[in-house]
Amino acid sequence: MRVFILTIISVLTIALVLGLGYYRAWFVDKPLYYWRAFVKESRSSAGPEQIRKARYGIAYTTSMKVKEELAKRNATNPVILFEPNSYYRDSLHMDLRVPEPAVFYYYTGLREVWMNSPGVEKANYFVRVNKAGVKLEPIRSPRQLQEILDRYRKFMPIL
Amino acid sequence: MDLFNIRQKPFVMLPLALLSGIAVASFVPFLLQLTYCPLYPATVFGALGLSCLLLNMRRLARGYGKWPRIGRNMVPRIRIRLYELPFILILSFLVFVSVWKCFYQPPVSRDALSGPEAIAEYAVREHTLINSFFTAELSTTNNQFKSPFLISLQVIYKMAGYPFGQIWLSIVFISYTLLFYQVLKTTLHPILAGLLLLLMTATPEIYAYTFMILYDYSNMVFLFLSLYFLIDSFENKRSSYFYFAALLMGIATYIRSETLVLAVLFTPILWLRLRRERQSPVTMVWTTGVFILPAVLSYYLIVKLYINYYLPVHYDISALVNPHPFNLRPLFRLYGEIFKELIVSAYGVQLWGYIMFLWAGIFLADLVILRRFTTPARNWLYAIGVVFAGLGLLGFLLPLFDIFNTTKRGLFKIVPLMVMYMANSQLLIRLSARISQWERPE
Repeated sequence: MRVFILTIISVLTIALVLGLGYYRAWFVDKPLYYWRAFVKESRSSAGPEQIRKARYGIAYTTSMKVKEELAKRNATNPVILFEPNSYYRDSLHMDLRVPEPAVFYYYTGLREVWMNSPGVEKANYFVRVNKAGVKLEPIRSPRQLQEILDRYRKFMPIL
Repeated sequence: MDLFNIRQKPFVMLPLALLSGIAVASFVPFLLQLTYCPLYPATVFGALGLSCLLLNMRRLARGYGKWPRIGRNMVPRIRIRLYELPFILILSFLVFVSVWKCFYQPPVSRDALSGPEAIAEYAVREHTLINSFFTAELSTTNNQFKSPFLISLQVIYKMAGYPFGQIWLSIVFISYTLLFYQVLKTTLHPILAGLLLLLMTATPEIYAYTFMILYDYSNMVFLFLSLYFLIDSFENKRSSYFYFAALLMGIATYIRSETLVLAVLFTPILWLRLRRERQSPVTMVWTTGVFILPAVLSYYLIVKLYINYYLPVHYDISALVNPHPFNLRPLFRLYGEIFKELIVSAYGVQLWGYIMFLWAGIFLADLVILRRFTTPARNWLYAIGVVFAGLGLLGFLLPLFDIFNTTKRGLFKIVPLMVMYMANSQLLIRLSARISQWERPE
């Protein structure tokens, strides 16, 4: 009987802890949410690549589109220049953050530079994003590159 | 564990063996790299097998007749009381969803993707840790200079067929949880042990790192294990436990090199202990040296050898050190900020739940009402003080060690120490005794 009473106390203690203040919000928002995700994911037949797309979102799909496009164009030694994230945020009001060069390399195996990167002069492709989509333009001369850099000078590259 | 003559209950030995295995495995691809051996599944798994054989050489050398036999008496008797089941079920639920996320989701943290995870991914493709990732533009990150602990484990698990690696973190989480429950049950009634373990596991920020591969969770586990065996060695006077604690401190430093500072800050408690035992100054110096040595070796292996001589990119640590170390005012301001911003704020509750407040309440009750601390409780209090003081000191000396990222994650280390204090608090030990008496009046 005493063991049974202690069992009831155990159950009540757990209910009290997980129903108390912030723990309640956390338990619903995190473990229970993950459990619901598990129920869906365990029935899904998605492969690793689809899981990556779903998890990493628009930054990953944009990076992979750039990779596909460069493969179509048979680009050799491409070094890709992206617009600064602050430009997407402050000028286009878009919720897009392109990955930093290290993460872009992890996603695609391609070299990326930012407007303030030490090797920016090596950039030979420029990715322009607008509400209509993503456009990949070749950079043909140092002058063209300088014009691009001047155009975005007031936007700080941020993570 | 056999080399150090570690003898514990089976449900402590099993998780401890798994954690030791993870630690050993984390050195294997790294050491292969140091010898310029290419990283193929055959070399990596061959070296893992060889390590296993070498570490069990003493046991194997005893001859086949004396090898342990798997028999019925070797299987630990599982005795679970009915009132433990609710805690076991809810903890199993928390563990399960964490393991699923580890298995199913790719790594997401920026710190992993811009460094160790990317290095591991290209190491599997190019068979070396010094791979094409280092040709990328890396001026926005310093994560390529992090310890090879995570890289090595990711390489092993990716080679084993897990596309996202990571499952090693679940092994660390499960082993640590299992071990902690057994440790808590040695001093507390299972209901109180279950409650403390639930509060620790449900610490929101720490729980997130049970499926997000980074260094801090594993660093917390190995630092806790080191202190557990160190404090245990004070009680049972076994030198092998002390050596094992030193080795575990070395592993914690291998995971995060700044742990060396904490290792040094733990030496005064050693001196105090040795003074009480009326040991000679030579013994005190020798013992301190032995305790610090694995941590120093780990630090040199990573920072001096691997980063300076193997990585193709330069890392000038001296440029990252505070140039005014004798102006102590910012240090005290930093302690105030850590306390105010990360502990007693609404944000602090989002990070740690209420476990730190519970600890403070129990500590005050021991201090004001009972006015007594057990010896282990005093040792764990010292450990809590060292971690808090050490994190502030690191933030002061290394400005990149910021409050809202690095210090926040560094505070993980303090939570198991607080739980261990509570497990040895007079108040909870008396409460446990009362519950046990009521449960079995005879």
